[in-house]
Amino acid sequence: MTQKIAAGVTNLKLKFAGEDALLFKGVSLAFRPGEHALLLGPSGCGKSTLLQVLSGLIPGSIEVPMIADEVIVPERWGYVFQDPDTQFCMPYVDEELAFVLENLQVPREDMPARIERHLRQVGLSLPDSHVPIQTLSQGMKQRLAIASALATEPEVLFLDEPTALLDEEGTEQVWQTIRSLADGMTLIVVEHKIEGIIDLFDRIVVIGPAGEVVADGAAREVISLRKKELDRYGVWYPGIWDDRPSLRRSPLPAPDVPPLLAMERYRGLRGSVVVIEAEQADVYPGDWIGIMGDNGAGKSSLLLAIMRLIKTEGVCEVAGRELKKVEHLAEHAAFVFQNPELQFVTHSVRDEIEYSLAVDGVPLEERRARSADLMDALQLLESADRHPYQLSMGQKRRLSVASAIIRGQRLLLLDEPTFGLDARNTFAMLDLLERLRAEGMAIVMVTHDPRIVERYCTKLWRVREGRLTHAIDVSTPANMAASR
Amino acid sequence: MQLTFPHRRTWLHRVNPVVKLVLFSLWFFAIILIHDFSVMINVAIGSVLLLIWSGHPWKRLLLYASPFLLVFVSSTTGMMFFGSGETPWFKWGIVNITEESFYRGLHLGFRALSMAAVGLLFGLTTRPVDLFYALMQKAKLPPKYAYSFLAAMRMIPILVEEFQTLRHALKIRGMKKQGKLMTIYRTWHRYAIPLLAQSIRRAHRIAVAMEAKRFAGGAKRTYYYIIGFTYRDIAFAALTAVLFAASFAAGIQWPYIADITDVR
Repeated sequence: MTQKIAAGVTNLKLKFAGEDALLFKGVSLAFRPGEHALLLGPSGCGKSTLLQVLSGLIPGSIEVPMIADEVIVPERWGYVFQDPDTQFCMPYVDEELAFVLENLQVPREDMPARIERHLRQVGLSLPDSHVPIQTLSQGMKQRLAIASALATEPEVLFLDEPTALLDEEGTEQVWQTIRSLADGMTLIVVEHKIEGIIDLFDRIVVIGPAGEVVADGAAREVISLRKKELDRYGVWYPGIWDDRPSLRRSPLPAPDVPPLLAMERYRGLRGSVVVIEAEQADVYPGDWIGIMGDNGAGKSSLLLAIMRLIKTEGVCEVAGRELKKVEHLAEHAAFVFQNPELQFVTHSVRDEIEYSLAVDGVPLEERRARSADLMDALQLLESADRHPYQLSMGQKRRLSVASAIIRGQRLLLLDEPTFGLDARNTFAMLDLLERLRAEGMAIVMVTHDPRIVERYCTKLWRVREGRLTHAIDVSTPANMAASR
Repeated sequence: MQLTFPHRRTWLHRVNPVVKLVLFSLWFFAIILIHDFSVMINVAIGSVLLLIWSGHPWKRLLLYASPFLLVFVSSTTGMMFFGSGETPWFKWGIVNITEESFYRGLHLGFRALSMAAVGLLFGLTTRPVDLFYALMQKAKLPPKYAYSFLAAMRMIPILVEEFQTLRHALKIRGMKKQGKLMTIYRTWHRYAIPLLAQSIRRAHRIAVAMEAKRFAGGAKRTYYYIIGFTYRDIAFAALTAVLFAASFAAGIQWPYIADITDVR
């Protein structure tokens, strides 16, 4: 007797339009009912695509040329996507769940009770479910996404990197929710932040860069046997931070040089509301400041205020001078936005890096030389003529840093430069920043990850409810621990 | 960013959106046909008075209405200053105010004011969700269009935020010095491409997510909100009729200015 299969595919061949090579060349996988499976692999290996094939979204909703000997699509399945902001079509929580129920032709009378039940299942205890979705935190939105997947009463739950765009707290909440649902449910999950969730899975499938199954077996076994591949693929496997070669925490810079950035009773305003306030704070050459705080506490506003992109009051000197105009500040301070695509203004990687130099009127030859050096250092040289949008996420982030710092500014402001990156690209970014810092640049960076602050930063700034409350020297581990 | 502001729900919010849509369209059409000055003023006063039931405080209403007040002033003065007429009042350069053009200008202004008030009232008392549910249930609008609109509306705040970020980014990165026309063209280009690229990708993702939630454009469905007809719809239709009838009767019986009736 053959075993029952919840979802599976035999001899899958699939190719994306415009690309020459097949993404999958005959992949076969089958999942038992009740199985908890985790798919791991480098970005671009086709994990998400595989999930979409198994759910029938390919070729049902997304047209991709594919053939397979057999595809077993579960009868009832739910799907949770990565981005909390692009999976809802209604403005209110109850309406979004109702949308799913309407699609399934659930009678109106049953809807309020069902909505209530699904929200309870994911631990979203709202006093009234008629709440605007945009007022929820990202972690709550992802739990709402799970609730709407549950509304389809699924046998199989597909989760496509459900926590990739969440902070630590949100990630925690989402996995807690998934754990509570796991009993009896078939879970097929793509994720690369897997620390602390391995015990949830009884099977791990590792997919290689060429779309082939590299390993398939019991979770613990795969993790311990395939560490090297996982590291190469950029997976955040458990203990990855301890495996990093060395924690290079250089000593604090000598404070006998004047500060690059000095704030005193500095405030940033939106309209007439003070959104961020800093009593007194300095940044010296060689400093690496990590700004941490809750969502909406004012971390990004602090960066915007330093760059004078919002209205400000008080004193903020950059390179010893009070510069009030963004154009003048931009000569001394580089700024990197969270979404690199919104700061790209040209059509090739080379032009993008050279852009600011061209604005300054630097001659072509010098521009070419400087951009070539920088591209070489950031492994962007072979993509020099590609459109910035065609790069991978990690490359886009590196390009956004390169194009920001080309003028040789000594102060670098970054808004979550490692957000949503896999391990490989995160470490590439951190190594780049450390190199810049060692050359005497000062870095001020918003981040959600305490491990980055612990291992790389010289100082931690805590932002709480619109105030910069603490500036803590974290160059020794004891201080970091005390700051929590 | 938020697109809706807290407000009181009034009975007008509960009038069936389709009824409101039809009545307000008729309203637009009717005021184009009014040529009697006094009747026009009466209808305009009536339209503005209806705003009592918008559920929003007066201060905010004034803010929302400010662009329409500008329309009132510009359409009034445009007609007043440069219109032709037989009884000249004032002449200065090309400005030529006559008695006829003065009243015609005011008439036009009140027409614009009435349209603005009614349009504003519709916008303020109708939730998009209710409107599209009503259109699906009462006007046979296919769900695929209704939900596309609703999904698109969710993207507006995100778009505004991205626009803001783009503005910041362009400020920081600076602009090449070029001719004025070129600069306008480039600026437009620089905003349009990233915003479009982000939006198209987002729209694609939302569409797939909707299908993953078993949405099928043409399939049968049940509804969370039943938007039926109630006595309020009749009350509202009656109110509209009374308002017009009273405006006409009063306007013809007691004109504001004795010899000014038809302003054509």
